[in-house]
Amino acid sequence: MNRDREERAELHARVRAFIDASEKGETPAESFDALGLAIARHQAEHVPAYRRLVAHRNEHPRDAASVRELPAVPTDAFRLTRIAAHPPSDDAALFRTSGTMSGTPGEHALSTTATYQAAALAWGRWALFFDAPAAMTAIALTPPRAHPLGNSSLHFMIQLFATEFARAVRYLQPWPDRLVDAAEFVEACATASRAAEPVIVMGASFAFVQVLDALGDERLALPEGSRIMHTGGFKGRSREVAPDELLSRMATTFAIPESAVVGEYGMTELSSQLYEGTLRAARGLPAPSARHGVFVAPPWLHVVAVDADKLRPVSEGEIGILRFEDLANVDSALVVQTADRGRCRGSTVELLGRLAGAPPRGCSLAVEELMGRP
Amino acid sequence: MSQQERERRVHAVLQAARRLSDPRDPLGIEARRALPGATGLSGASVELSLVRHLETSVTSDDLGKLVTRAGSAPRVHVVLSANVFTGVVRAVALAVAAAPSVMVRPSSREAVLAPLLLRAITELGKEARFELIPTLEPAPGDHVHVYGRLETIAAIRVGCPADVTVRGHGPGFGIAVVDGATSEAALLAESLSWDIVPFDQRGCLSPRLAFVEGSRDDAERFASRLAVELDQREKEVPRGALSEEERRDRSLYRRTLQAVGQCHDGVASTVGLDLDPRAMFLPPTGRHLHVVRVASADEMERLLVPYRGAITCIGVTEKSSLAARFATLLPGARILPIGNMQRPPLDGPVDLREMV
Repeated sequence: MNRDREERAELHARVRAFIDASEKGETPAESFDALGLAIARHQAEHVPAYRRLVAHRNEHPRDAASVRELPAVPTDAFRLTRIAAHPPSDDAALFRTSGTMSGTPGEHALSTTATYQAAALAWGRWALFFDAPAAMTAIALTPPRAHPLGNSSLHFMIQLFATEFARAVRYLQPWPDRLVDAAEFVEACATASRAAEPVIVMGASFAFVQVLDALGDERLALPEGSRIMHTGGFKGRSREVAPDELLSRMATTFAIPESAVVGEYGMTELSSQLYEGTLRAARGLPAPSARHGVFVAPPWLHVVAVDADKLRPVSEGEIGILRFEDLANVDSALVVQTADRGRCRGSTVELLGRLAGAPPRGCSLAVEELMGRP
Repeated sequence: MSQQERERRVHAVLQAARRLSDPRDPLGIEARRALPGATGLSGASVELSLVRHLETSVTSDDLGKLVTRAGSAPRVHVVLSANVFTGVVRAVALAVAAAPSVMVRPSSREAVLAPLLLRAITELGKEARFELIPTLEPAPGDHVHVYGRLETIAAIRVGCPADVTVRGHGPGFGIAVVDGATSEAALLAESLSWDIVPFDQRGCLSPRLAFVEGSRDDAERFASRLAVELDQREKEVPRGALSEEERRDRSLYRRTLQAVGQCHDGVASTVGLDLDPRAMFLPPTGRHLHVVRVASADEMERLLVPYRGAITCIGVTEKSSLAARFATLLPGARILPIGNMQRPPLDGPVDLREMV
């Protein structure tokens, strides 16, 4: 057991070194593939689900020459079984998905949050906090972690950002009938604006929709240098809003440029996140993409689109479903397969919607429809 | 309309359906020619559905129940869904039992069987004719029977005048329960495979989950046998084409079960087995069954909680001790023998959940 722990701790340290070097613009001491394969070998030994997967497919990491050759663990597996190299008694954090689709949430167990934090802070700095405003105020459309709902990885990350980058933070607690109270939000914005310091408002996209709907035509001009970080879909928790409309309404309501509205793409099953590079590009800093809807992955996270039948990589620029190779996922699954459609070019991912023209499934129920019934 | 008149009209629909079921009848021949393209099912699958699953007769007891459940209205408008093309007959039978005037809007994707049924009724000179309509225009007091997705039902409900009754027949799925009959695993697996195959599992009665109450060996034996049977069915009744979305979900389901439990990857089908279920997983349509082993009926109930409202049908063994328990737990679900899950009695709509 001690040897396992030591091996795990060493892998975490190597990943943090990789992240640190990448952030400094240095070449990491080891390659993505070398470190990734070491993590995968550890997981094939210590994560029972991954052991079963590689055995079933006869695709053991010891026989692989690159991370791309490894089988991926689908996100659904995180709901059906524990995906962890360590026992529950060693959990330092247990992030849960919203679980709205089928009642049981997916779980992502971490033996340490240090690597998650290193990854989140490094790439958050790249996309959102590169100019490090000395006195920034944060408004979080989420409760703090002590709240019963605080086992979300998004809440954890927002709290991390607020603690690291903001002079003051205001968490807006959810109400029984709404995610955010509009009056409380208006008051928080007014207080922040009086300080004349840049504000960052962070939250799920559906929370922003609820706020914007409650505000109607009201304008809450935020101080210069302010920005928004929003993430996720709508998950049935607000009305669906087209991305362009949401972007436009955010920029108009808060009197900030559209480039200052930065989308984040992450999921409970990953330890790293992707961001739109719009804010960086608007400030003249290098970014692989300056487009909304195109997310940039950090160097320690590789994303590739794969085909629907064999889950094999498609050519760059072709549409497929997204596979994530996340070095920061030391404790669980290095390679995670999602059902999300997208197009990858270099380190960028363009997220796409449901399959165009996909026929309805007749009267047999799709998982997405489950929650529509009482 | 009198009870006798209603019953006569239903019989007329079934008489017309017999023509479509008959491979020698010109209308039956036309159905067999057009339906594979319209439904995406294989020719053998269309044949199976027309011969085995199209309703062509009814017992007097069931007819009495059907007429009662149909209700009464001056006009009934029927909005059909695609995929389970044989559902047209039951939908029209219910409608003609309820109203002297029936209007049917076929699915845009499967617009074959309703016109053929109308032609058969007309050629037989029966009074149970209906009108095919492109758009829905219900008048006050009318009933609208909607078959399809929840969004479709909700949109039609919102769009109808307040004094129009909308009866929604939404999506759902079936489950099978194997308990107390492990010595008959092979026979049960074969029977269940015949419930999975029709309509390539896109029907609201199609089993998607199976519970084996017993030992781990029992569950493994049943799952592997079912995989063999489904491969055999593929030779006899090949599956039709899957959409890209269905193919994606099949790949993800297979990969998930390879990690979580056991996965029998068949030629066209998949049987996944979870011996230690933490939660249920609804596999995609296209002949894939998720089997879980449970130690007790209580555990099964716990796992079913998130899905309760979606279950339309429970397939049980002859010796099942759980049928009564399900009748209480899922009062809207039909309880049918495994092997006959896709052949419910013609005693009302297939989906009885709205009747509860």
